[in-house]
Amino acid sequence: MTTAAAQPIDENPCRPRHFRPPPTCEPVVADERAAALLETCRSRLVAAAALFALVFLVVALRLVEVVLLPGTAAESHIARVRPVGLPPPVRADLIDRDGRLLATTLESPSLYADPRQIIDAAAATRAITAVLPQLDPQELRAKLASHKSFVWIKRHLTPHQEYEINRLGIPGLQFEPEERRVYPYGDLAAHVVGFCGIDNNGLAGLERALDRKIRTGAGPIQLSLDARVQFILRDELRKVIDDFAAKGAAGIVMDVRTGEVIAMVSLPDFDPNHPGVADPNLPPEEETDEKQRTFNRITLGDYEMGSVMKIFNSAMVLDSGVATMTSQFDASHDIRVGRYTISDYHGKHRWLSVPEIFMYSSNIGSVREAVAAGAARQRDYLARFGLLSPAPIELDEVAKPRYPNPWREVNVMTIAFGHGLSLSPLNVIEAGSAAVNGGVLHPATLMKLPPGTAPAGRRVISQQTSEEMRKLLRLVVEYGTARFAQGSGYVVGGKTGTAEKNQRGRYELKKLVSDFFAAFPINDPRYAIFTLVDEPHGTKQSQGYATAGWTVVPATKRIIERIAPLLGVAPVDEASPAVVDALTVKSLQGKKIEAY
Amino acid sequence: VGAVTKLSAVFWLGLVLASGFATFMVKYAVQGVDDRVQQIRKQTVAEQQEIRVLTAEWTYLNQPERLADLNERFLHFAPITAQQLQQTIAGIPLRAPAPAAPAPAAPVPAPAAVVAVIPRPGAPRQSPTTDRPIAVAAFGPLLASADVPVPVATVASAPAPASLDALFALVAEKR
Repeated sequence: MTTAAAQPIDENPCRPRHFRPPPTCEPVVADERAAALLETCRSRLVAAAALFALVFLVVALRLVEVVLLPGTAAESHIARVRPVGLPPPVRADLIDRDGRLLATTLESPSLYADPRQIIDAAAATRAITAVLPQLDPQELRAKLASHKSFVWIKRHLTPHQEYEINRLGIPGLQFEPEERRVYPYGDLAAHVVGFCGIDNNGLAGLERALDRKIRTGAGPIQLSLDARVQFILRDELRKVIDDFAAKGAAGIVMDVRTGEVIAMVSLPDFDPNHPGVADPNLPPEEETDEKQRTFNRITLGDYEMGSVMKIFNSAMVLDSGVATMTSQFDASHDIRVGRYTISDYHGKHRWLSVPEIFMYSSNIGSVREAVAAGAARQRDYLARFGLLSPAPIELDEVAKPRYPNPWREVNVMTIAFGHGLSLSPLNVIEAGSAAVNGGVLHPATLMKLPPGTAPAGRRVISQQTSEEMRKLLRLVVEYGTARFAQGSGYVVGGKTGTAEKNQRGRYELKKLVSDFFAAFPINDPRYAIFTLVDEPHGTKQSQGYATAGWTVVPATKRIIERIAPLLGVAPVDEASPAVVDALTVKSLQGKKIEAY
Repeated sequence: VGAVTKLSAVFWLGLVLASGFATFMVKYAVQGVDDRVQQIRKQTVAEQQEIRVLTAEWTYLNQPERLADLNERFLHFAPITAQQLQQTIAGIPLRAPAPAAPAPAAPVPAPAAVVAVIPRPGAPRQSPTTDRPIAVAAFGPLLASADVPVPVATVASAPAPASLDALFALVAEKR
């Protein structure tokens, strides 16, 4: 029993090293305690060996899985790998409705110095100013000789400048990778896009209004603008300014069905890449100050719009039932209110029907209409058209309309033909679009809506009134002040306005604001255009006139001719029965219409 | 028994060495692939950066103002007039036969609203529409219906052509 017990212990390969087998000659002490101890040891060894074997098995299986069996573990690993790509820039891109880049962020290194490491400030100054001649040597030298540990030398270098600076090999000069906002189209959409400060904080336009969205949004932000239309609008408005030696001009194109702003131009403008730097191409006397150029006339300007307001006056009387298309008003005599006399430019001195008042742009007739409707109704309709509150748009720079308070009878009269109420062009195009699109007001937006969406909007006037307004607007182009808008092939309808500027409470005869609201094709409007020119001067070609009919109307016609094919608007055959039917004023049919 | 044990020991030792070798091979291969991935990642980022810069530059070069200037200098393209855009075949006027100058290339009906305007060299910036190519823009159905009135100048009483080719053949015949 004893030898039998000792034998397996001796042969056990797992025996502990400290265990020495007792000499065989001597009988092993048949000690019950020792035997139990040995038994425990052995079972522990077996357990440990099993554990190791298991672990090795797992490792082996894992190896087989990873190496020999494709498409299991490896693929789940691949799926976990983060996508490769640039980290999103600090500011998202802004793109136009066709994806053209309006604003982007590019990496551009900035140069700084640790003056304590600069050995020879004078030599370093000479070398650096040779590469960056726009730096002031005196100032730079003072910076480099200072005892600070960090001074900016120049922010946002070009790659070439970076290379040149590196080549100088001056110790103590360092580059800080920074990002810089770049506007490839320059001044094209300056007022809409706005600009950024040197630390990439939005200071104007959408850069300012959407600052948070631009900072957090990874993808590009798509605007409703069309760069091509924007260019055409700007091009034509610039011609108007040149032709009529005007102080400024503004224009806006809007999709009447959605309220999307397709183009928005305010002249003079600026280059957002260098805001605050004057255009070097301009002679010094024509250089306008920075405030003028960064001023967005479309949203911030407030102008008395003149006869364009008769659109809303006529819509009011027709929609409220105060008058119908056949109603007549007495326009035979001037109206005296206090010390004012309200008269017509080309008075007909007879009773005029509602379409005639609109077509001949009769101030007297419009006043009679407004008085018949009353102050409360006028206010109500103007508020419905959104003309008493700032136009809702994404920009921060929005003017509040200025209207009289209290709303007296004389104000009712002057507002009827567009004086006494100051509006921004954005207000006018938004309300004008509602007047022609079937009577639904869509808030203006600079964000592109997905194609095919029809935003709900807010009903302002009835469908029928809107159809009547289209006819009235067409009359103005056919027989009224906007005859230069004829013949574009796209059936334009519109209303002109020419107002004297109110400066310090006095109207100045020589200082005009000429404006024109138009929509095309007027039988089923798709787009509205509002153009305005500030202080135009008559020329020989315009027979000395600086009114809207001679300034912005021909420009609008040219704009429509150029943008309609781009916007996918088909030419309209004016003689086709459907168009004639949609635009004929029944009450004037058969009558000989006197020219304006 | 001793020989078998020895043999099996050698076998296992060989297996251990082989698997160890294989494991290290795999490890180094993976490391190599990993380095390559890192390198490609870096390269991708650099390329994307480059693309950003190039896109900005391309956009800069495509400033409408610049294109208009280039057009003025080299191409003399004029805006498309309403007369050049027709919705139906019937609306296309026939070109007046040009006695002196050889007729310009045949107009190509452009897809959708993309219209090729081929300028006539030597006569830029003029408004007569008859010598400008006319394109049918697909605002609506190209051939409005089967009973399209045939252009007056071509045929007065012939049956309406079934296809464009037939129409061209008819016109050629009448000339």
